[in-house]
Amino acid sequence: TPRHATPVIPSRSQPARTPGNVLEEARARLHVSAVPESLPCREQEFQDIYNFVESKVIDGTGGCMYISGVPGTGKTATVHEVIRSLQQAADLDEIPQFRFIEINGMKMTDPHQAYVQILQKLTNQRVTPDHAASLLEKRFSNPAPKKETTVLLVDELDLLWTRKQNVMYNLFDWPTRRHARLVVLTIANTMDLPERIMINRVASRLGLTRMSFQPYTFKQLQQIIASRLNRVRAFEEDALQLVSRKVAALSGDARRCLDICRRATEICEFTAKPKSDTGLVGMSDVMQALDEMFSSSYITAIRCASVQEQLFLRGVISEFRRLGLEEATFQQVFVQHQALCRVEGLQPVSVSESLAVCQRLGACRLLLLEASRLDLLLRVRLNVSQDDVLYALKAD
Amino acid sequence: MPALVEQPGYAHERLCALTERVPCRETQASTLLALLGEPGHYSYPSIFIYGHRASGKSHVTESILQELELPHAIVSCVECVSAGLLFEQTLVAFFGPEAPSLLPRSSSLSDFVRIYKQLCAQTPACQTRYIVLDRAERLRDMEANLLPGLLRLQELVDDNVTVILLTEIVWDKFRPNTGCLEPLLLHFPDYSKAELQEILVRDYHPAYSPDLYGSFVSILLGVFYSVCRDLRELKHLAALNFSKFCEPLEREEVKESETHKLWRNIEPHLKKAMQTVYLREVSSVQWEQQQQQMEDREAGTLKGLSAYAHVELPYYSKFLLIAAYLASFNPARTDRRFFLKHHGKIKKTNFLKKHEKTSNHLLGPKPFPLDRLLAIFYSVVDSRVAPTASIFSQISSLVTLQLLTQVGHDDQLDAPKYKCAVALDFIQAVSRTVSFDIVKYLYDFL
Repeated sequence: TPRHATPVIPSRSQPARTPGNVLEEARARLHVSAVPESLPCREQEFQDIYNFVESKVIDGTGGCMYISGVPGTGKTATVHEVIRSLQQAADLDEIPQFRFIEINGMKMTDPHQAYVQILQKLTNQRVTPDHAASLLEKRFSNPAPKKETTVLLVDELDLLWTRKQNVMYNLFDWPTRRHARLVVLTIANTMDLPERIMINRVASRLGLTRMSFQPYTFKQLQQIIASRLNRVRAFEEDALQLVSRKVAALSGDARRCLDICRRATEICEFTAKPKSDTGLVGMSDVMQALDEMFSSSYITAIRCASVQEQLFLRGVISEFRRLGLEEATFQQVFVQHQALCRVEGLQPVSVSESLAVCQRLGACRLLLLEASRLDLLLRVRLNVSQDDVLYALKAD
Repeated sequence: MPALVEQPGYAHERLCALTERVPCRETQASTLLALLGEPGHYSYPSIFIYGHRASGKSHVTESILQELELPHAIVSCVECVSAGLLFEQTLVAFFGPEAPSLLPRSSSLSDFVRIYKQLCAQTPACQTRYIVLDRAERLRDMEANLLPGLLRLQELVDDNVTVILLTEIVWDKFRPNTGCLEPLLLHFPDYSKAELQEILVRDYHPAYSPDLYGSFVSILLGVFYSVCRDLRELKHLAALNFSKFCEPLEREEVKESETHKLWRNIEPHLKKAMQTVYLREVSSVQWEQQQQQMEDREAGTLKGLSAYAHVELPYYSKFLLIAAYLASFNPARTDRRFFLKHHGKIKKTNFLKKHEKTSNHLLGPKPFPLDRLLAIFYSVVDSRVAPTASIFSQISSLVTLQLLTQVGHDDQLDAPKYKCAVALDFIQAVSRTVSFDIVKYLYDFL
């Protein structure tokens, strides 16, 4: 096996440059990984989680909490923020000391690796999953003097699902033990995950302490960006409002919103503007960034396709209309394609040329195709709506 | 005089020898050679050569690579049941017999690329390396990333390497759904009749003149060309039948110039050979032995493989097979008419409404349930038979003998369905041994 089998992110030899102008500064502050000074618009959720964990830590008991919400609503960030302030409180001896462990379902090759990671973070031992499970079982079920509370954050809970659900079961069963002193915070995207994929004995152990994070409204998004920028004036007010309204209407994803803003600063920088301008990111830059991020590339792809490819798509649509179905064999479409060629006054295509065109469209997912060895009998479906294809073909 | 295969960068004698080795394929050879270019040049990453069986694809490719001494690996994809074997053979051909030991046990394409790069750094290529994949259609059945990976191997290993794919199937049926780097396509057309004649004449018998062999070949092609254009098969036939052609000459009944007499002598023989030899019913050795004892036996009197249609079966197995045949080829609605003694009144016109339908013997056997088989079996057998285990085991052994086939899942215990898989001649022979007139019970022959 190779020595460097694990893929790594290339390391940076030079330190990152300090931002030179306003736009660069704004970009650095708007980066998704930049730690914000505060988490606006999540005060209520912050308080709820804080109270939950604090009470458990002070009482020395255990419990579970299930946190759900669509991506980009600040679930993980809020929990981390809670833990940070709790640790500050613990350092000030306001609450007893506790341990924080974090695992992520996405970072595991196998759900059973969860045991290994938890044990490694607790005791720095490296053992097999089975052994780790039994060691953890012993640790959480036996009383020990001056044991401190452990706070376990499980991110991407849905990926820990196994057929027998033993990993989830254990994760929710340990906090119920008398001597465990374990607080488990689980995060997933869907609200009904416990009802949907967990068997009853697992779902009941998870309990009813649920919290759902609502998507951000446009006002909240605007507030988030404003707090990120923190008096760095790089954006026009209207531009910010446009971004947040667009994002809030679609998904309410804060990460998306930040990405669009950063892209807009780049566009503003690259388009050399006359000096008379304010140098701020304006409406037009934001519009362009939104276009880049949100518009579907399918229509552009169809517009830029070759003449024969466009003819083939037209043939697909006319065949669908003739059949009244959303599916046709290549042979049927080929007849249409050839007829269209004749109408357009082009050289008639051969079967293999037409098949090559068809498979090229299939390779860029404009069409959905079967395996190519079926030849004339392979079935063709459109991956985009017929209206989109017609719009793209007509627009020129 | 055929045109010489030309390409700068190679010695003249080599090219002459190459031209000699590829008769009637000079155009293809020179196109291919032009694509390959001079030894040090970078060639196109992948070349796809297709044409019918025995149109000289492998021969021309191998001749070029061997005659011009280019570094190459010839791998048959039929032999390579896993991609690992393919990689092993390639590495052995390029880097010596120790190279494949570096490969991990079940190697993937990325392992191969890594090892190739590693070895390539030690022994860099001064000439283009060629990987020839024969029967490349098998590549489609291996991992999905293998074919696209091999097509852009030059880019992946960053070495002067070209992959040549040889197959009988057109490229359209290869293209992966996710797209790939398109290879250059090169078609090898079939040999024409004149070309076949030219190639076949080249291996004439030294004891006779080339003209005599030429006339033999033209007689042979006159008989066989309409059914077979496969050079390999024709060569085999020519070698097999030439001694018979020469017999009158050896007995000195005719002279070499009397082609008409020779033709009269050989033609019926060749017609017979078409029935027996081409289908390999009589093996070549048998055929030759038979020719030596021609005096007492006529050609074709020997029973071919397919004539052995007679199989010894137990008594009840024969009836089971007959019942299965009847169940497969008769519609279920006619069973009452055929097998019930007092079947009530059935209008003859109503019953015989078969003209609107095609014969069941053309459509093939229909599946039937076990119950129907047993019901027909009891009515066909005259004596009383108890449904013992032996009857049922005979049914299942008929399945293992492939006289019946089970339809659907193997594990179905209740009401399994079967099909009868024997021909009419066979079942007639079987029913004759038990003196049962099967034609009387077949709906198609009513």
